[in-house]
Amino acid sequence: MSNTSGASKLPFDLTPSEEQQMMRESMQRFAAAELLPAARDADAESKIPDGLLDAAHELGITLLAVPEQYGGAGTERSPIANSLIAEDLGQGDMALALAILSPLGVLNTILDQGSEAQREHYLPRFADEKFLPAATAVMESTALFDPSNLQTTAKADGDGWVLNGEKRMVPLSSHRPLLLVLAKVEGEDSPAAFIVEGDNPGVNFEAEPLMGLRGMEPGQVTLKDCRVEGSARLGGDDGFDARRFLNLSKLGLGATACGVAAGLLEHAIEYTNERVAFGEPISHRQSVAFMVANIGIELEGMRLMVQRAASRAEQGLDFEREATLAARFCGDHGMEIGTNAVQLLGGHGFTQEYLEEMCYRHLRAVGILEGCFSI
Amino acid sequence: MKLMVSVKRVVDYNVRIQVKPDGSGVVTDGVKMSMNPFDEIAMEEALRIKEAGNAEEIIAVTIGEQKAQEQLRTALAMGADRAIHVEVDEDIQPLTAARVLKALADKEQPGMVLLGKQAIDDDQGQTGQMLAALWDRPQATFASKVDLDGQKAKVTREVDAGLETIEVDLPAVVTTDLRLNEPRYVKLPDIMKAKKKPIDTTSLADLGVEAAPGLKVTNTAPPPERQGGKKVESVDELVSELKNRGLI
Repeated sequence: MSNTSGASKLPFDLTPSEEQQMMRESMQRFAAAELLPAARDADAESKIPDGLLDAAHELGITLLAVPEQYGGAGTERSPIANSLIAEDLGQGDMALALAILSPLGVLNTILDQGSEAQREHYLPRFADEKFLPAATAVMESTALFDPSNLQTTAKADGDGWVLNGEKRMVPLSSHRPLLLVLAKVEGEDSPAAFIVEGDNPGVNFEAEPLMGLRGMEPGQVTLKDCRVEGSARLGGDDGFDARRFLNLSKLGLGATACGVAAGLLEHAIEYTNERVAFGEPISHRQSVAFMVANIGIELEGMRLMVQRAASRAEQGLDFEREATLAARFCGDHGMEIGTNAVQLLGGHGFTQEYLEEMCYRHLRAVGILEGCFSI
Repeated sequence: MKLMVSVKRVVDYNVRIQVKPDGSGVVTDGVKMSMNPFDEIAMEEALRIKEAGNAEEIIAVTIGEQKAQEQLRTALAMGADRAIHVEVDEDIQPLTAARVLKALADKEQPGMVLLGKQAIDDDQGQTGQMLAALWDRPQATFASKVDLDGQKAKVTREVDAGLETIEVDLPAVVTTDLRLNEPRYVKLPDIMKAKKKPIDTTSLADLGVEAAPGLKVTNTAPPPERQGGKKVESVDELVSELKNRGLI
């Protein structure tokens, strides 16, 4: 995404620039008209509606992220602009937003850490007219995610690599996406990343039912003697900064969670003002009003922490601490907002008549998922 | 052929309007402003005409305060080629707007001027018709379909009795209705491109236009709050309730 820093020259200012504001409006409109109405069915069927990914692609999210020399329209990557876009799409539906943004995570990482040859080879494909399904394959079957001890392995084999292992919760799985796979290379402490074509015969995709985010078509990916060229190793000899990648992913997830929370807040205000009990709107009760106010306060905290980390990333400053705190905060408070939003609707919140129960299941993923969408 | 589209900055249609305590108007400070939705439809129609190869250039025009340039940027991001901002600080009336558009039409010589059938702020619905009269050109109002055929346009209009199709000679004024089209989403790369497109700023004086006097808003009031309904048990009770209230 191009560099569209805020209106002020101050290092941390959340006033969007005119361009950022226009982008947000376009995304908000798309999210309200295309994602929100499709969210329930996508969740029930674990399926992205036909044509949605191409329609979203027409908005130019990836095209703008690809620099001009690789056939795109972009200039510089902007984690701030990306997190704003993620929030706006997330307000429509978190699962569909992550499906739409999934290729951007791969693209950004190739742009950020790929060699020049890799950029030249892969980036033009993201600037194509059609949506390019692409996803990062990070999580594994272990109880706790430990990037320094991945079970997926890469072994040198002649001038290429052979990958073996299982990856979980990979978006767009039924589309056989282009993959960015994190794997352990023997003798190396930090994980390596490999770009694997979705039609590689050594890759198998299988749909994976999850508690939430079903609309992103999550899947399990099995790599069995999956051979890739030597040039598929991201960053080549310069290596791959997995921490940087994972930190940017945390922010992507946190930003989409802010969108979900913003949608819940909006509906909580509307609902509690309209729902009458004991002769007056339930929002007149302090116990209800405080709960709504807390959602607003927690959401603002989530947003500020994500934006602060994104701002530091955009300025080229170290942002690991900020990203880690933001991820933790978004995970905890996202869940809290989800459960309180359900509670505010009482019995209604527990039914599928409203979106609260689904949003709650989505938000439960924030503290668990790793590497879904790197901004 | 050139197309001229006028766009107005209005309070966004999603905003719950609040009347100022002194009744002098509605609150706009800190309120989200957008392009009038009917004008957006006009802009979209102009883009479709151009994309079909029937026009070469689209000029977006707005009349209003400095900030109205935001709506011109949106028009440019949608695909207008250039924009003209007629900077005016005070609220203007439809006749003034029509005079401005007439002056610009004389200067730019568009084959068609497209604008919303009304703006959602004051709902006057007069500018297009007044422009056609001042410009002495045909008008096709409340358009729900526009087909170009050489120097003519066939326009389907939504009227009370149904649909009416008329043919107008170009240049003409077309005002757009809700069902004409669905405006596109603004694409992100086009937002960046719009930054580089030119906006010319001019004024009433530069155009030789005199602001129309006449209308003065004396008071603005919110609609009275509706009283809640009442449920009755039977038809008899309903009849007697209506009688009691002197309604039948």
